[in-house]
Amino acid sequence: MENAIAWIFIFPLFGAVACTLVGMYNRKWCHPISVLSMIGATWAGVETLIKVMNSKSHELSYLLGGWTLDQYPRGVGIEFRADLLGALITLVVLGVGLIVSLYSKIPVEEETPGKESLFFTLFLLQITGLAGITLTGDAFNLYVLIEVAALTGYGLIAIGSNRAAAATFNYVILGTIGASLYLLGVGYLYIKTGTLNMVGIREVIEANALADSPSMQVAFILVGLGILIKMAFFPFHAWLPNAYCNAPTTTSCLLAPLVTKVMIYVMIRMVLTVFGVDFSFESTLWTKFLPWLVVLAIVCAAVMALAQREIKKMLSYLIVAEVGYMIGGLWIYNYYGLIGSIFHIISDACMTLCLFLGAGLILRKARTTHFDGLRGLFAKMPLTTSGFFIGGFSIIGLPPTCGFFSKWYLITGGMVSGRWEYLIVLLFSTMVMVVLFFRLIERMHLAVSENGENLGHGHGDLGLTEEQTKFEEGPLSMLIPLLLAAAVVLVIGVYNQDISTQIEHFLADYDLPRGIEP
Amino acid sequence: MKLISMIPVAAVGGLLLFAAKDFPEWGAVDSPASQSPVSSHFISHTGVDTEVPNMVTAVLADYRGFDTMFETVVVFIAGVAVLAILRGSGRRGSQKREFEVDAEPDLIVTNTVRLIVPVIQIFAFYVLAHGHVSPGGGFQGGVAMGASFILVALAWDLEVALERFSISRCMVVASLGIVIYGGIGFLSMILGGEFLDYAELEKVLPVSREMARYHAMLGVEIGVGFTVSAIMFALYANLSSEGRLKGGL
Repeated sequence: MENAIAWIFIFPLFGAVACTLVGMYNRKWCHPISVLSMIGATWAGVETLIKVMNSKSHELSYLLGGWTLDQYPRGVGIEFRADLLGALITLVVLGVGLIVSLYSKIPVEEETPGKESLFFTLFLLQITGLAGITLTGDAFNLYVLIEVAALTGYGLIAIGSNRAAAATFNYVILGTIGASLYLLGVGYLYIKTGTLNMVGIREVIEANALADSPSMQVAFILVGLGILIKMAFFPFHAWLPNAYCNAPTTTSCLLAPLVTKVMIYVMIRMVLTVFGVDFSFESTLWTKFLPWLVVLAIVCAAVMALAQREIKKMLSYLIVAEVGYMIGGLWIYNYYGLIGSIFHIISDACMTLCLFLGAGLILRKARTTHFDGLRGLFAKMPLTTSGFFIGGFSIIGLPPTCGFFSKWYLITGGMVSGRWEYLIVLLFSTMVMVVLFFRLIERMHLAVSENGENLGHGHGDLGLTEEQTKFEEGPLSMLIPLLLAAAVVLVIGVYNQDISTQIEHFLADYDLPRGIEP
Repeated sequence: MKLISMIPVAAVGGLLLFAAKDFPEWGAVDSPASQSPVSSHFISHTGVDTEVPNMVTAVLADYRGFDTMFETVVVFIAGVAVLAILRGSGRRGSQKREFEVDAEPDLIVTNTVRLIVPVIQIFAFYVLAHGHVSPGGGFQGGVAMGASFILVALAWDLEVALERFSISRCMVVASLGIVIYGGIGFLSMILGGEFLDYAELEKVLPVSREMARYHAMLGVEIGVGFTVSAIMFALYANLSSEGRLKGGL
């Protein structure tokens, strides 16, 4: 397909408009429309990835508006550039979107009755924005797409309840500050380089030796700071837990796996493609102090996760900790660390999806968000809880889930670059996650309350009454996507070699230190 | 608290000032932005590429038309999101707010509005259609058009304006705007170019490649105008009445 890249955003964009128009006459059509457009977009994403893998230079350039590079200077039109990294992350975005759209039918009808058409419009535009961010090769176009993704995100969170609207307000303020800082940074870049095309900017930086220019340094700080706020890196994370907890189920299932991860992708893209490896790592002080901030971020987020008594809140703090992992993997400035960071974007998206899909089902059944409502749940919903815990094992990093392999690369990176502090906090937070998930497992398997009192009446080994062991799985339309996500976590784990090979192909173009060979 | 929040503001401000010392002179010929092949291409080739005399419009609607399409989508999202948040939240349906007063529409105000609304709307069309040659375009024209409906709502009340332009009609018009913009881009892709490659429209229009770009730009500006005018009014109607769609300011 000549225009596979274009189809990636055409499907959700027109699907969203169709949802608005058709939804006025019959709301029932909105869900099938969104599933169909996600299937189409995912197909286009797969097609793009295959084309990128088969092309000789491992990248695909698509000039919107026909302002081709052979006739016009680079940067006249807007370029979509899919390299291996971009195409992989795009496929992750579309795959997560597809699974969530399958899952969304019942929760959307239950939680936001009467607003289905608006919900699915925003849902599809969110995917359009995120998939665009991962493909665009233009620094200003990236800002526009960040705006699309952010605005739809605010709408999707606040659509739920009045509490969600209050939580969204924090998110709006911080998100706007982050986006404005990014935009200011891009303005400075344009003043100094005269182009907005990502590759064009790096060419000018290298040709004019702009590394020591103070305004380039400030541009780097502004862009980096803006992205760090957007991805909820530790001191700027305050918006995330409340926003994701109070959001409707489908929203948190879509946003939690994608938004922070896509922003980490943006940071990697900025470092590698826009500013260049030499500028980012050698001419700035970020490699000196950011790993220490990462240490602080991971420790604090892990401890806060430990203090939570609600599933979704706990998962939200886990996301904040995971952001620390990936940023650490990038800024320890090591080949293996960066492989781990990129791989972890992929696996973290899958396992967070798995956890939030599972949490949605569990909360729908237990009708409480508190840990205490979860006693004996395994007996009632064995499939749901198993799916949930596959995601949990992956967060901990147990083989053969994908989380093990990406964490392996991160740990290797920390070791060979001699960043022991990073290595130690990785292991520390792994311990914390073991505690978190095994505490949950214990509660879900037993019906015994904390002070040893048997809540059941002595039937069976675990003290479960017959009523408590009655099989009560959630609806199939929600269960199947969860099991699908759990299967993806395992499949990525099994085929980890293929993915890391592609990431190595991508990083072959960049000159990164490998430390002591492991 | 106020003092603490001043610290990051001062820090960012200091950073910006620190960077400014390194900037090229204001309007200098040798600044990177004037030297780059991109801006010199815009200056020397806009007329050749697109036949449009107004360079800004050509950059906005053609060279960087993809950005503008998503800016239109952002406007559309704003409308959808406000509708999504406020719909059904107005439980105090019949209760009057303190700022609402029962007053007959003022004779002088309504008659003035009767006179100027048609003028505003014709001017809006002019601004929209004349964007190629003079300052203007879809966003500005759309805002003027939306303002004319807001004026009606202010002079009488919200119901009178909504009778003429109901919220569901607003959403249809806004979606149509996106469909027009995206559809022109899609059509040029189907005809063999890239997405938004207007030049390919020469195959369906009886004009040259350059004039095809010229006309397609008018088309996308109309799409932008549709979306912006409808969403302007929908935002006003929803926000001023807290989603109840009656009374209001």
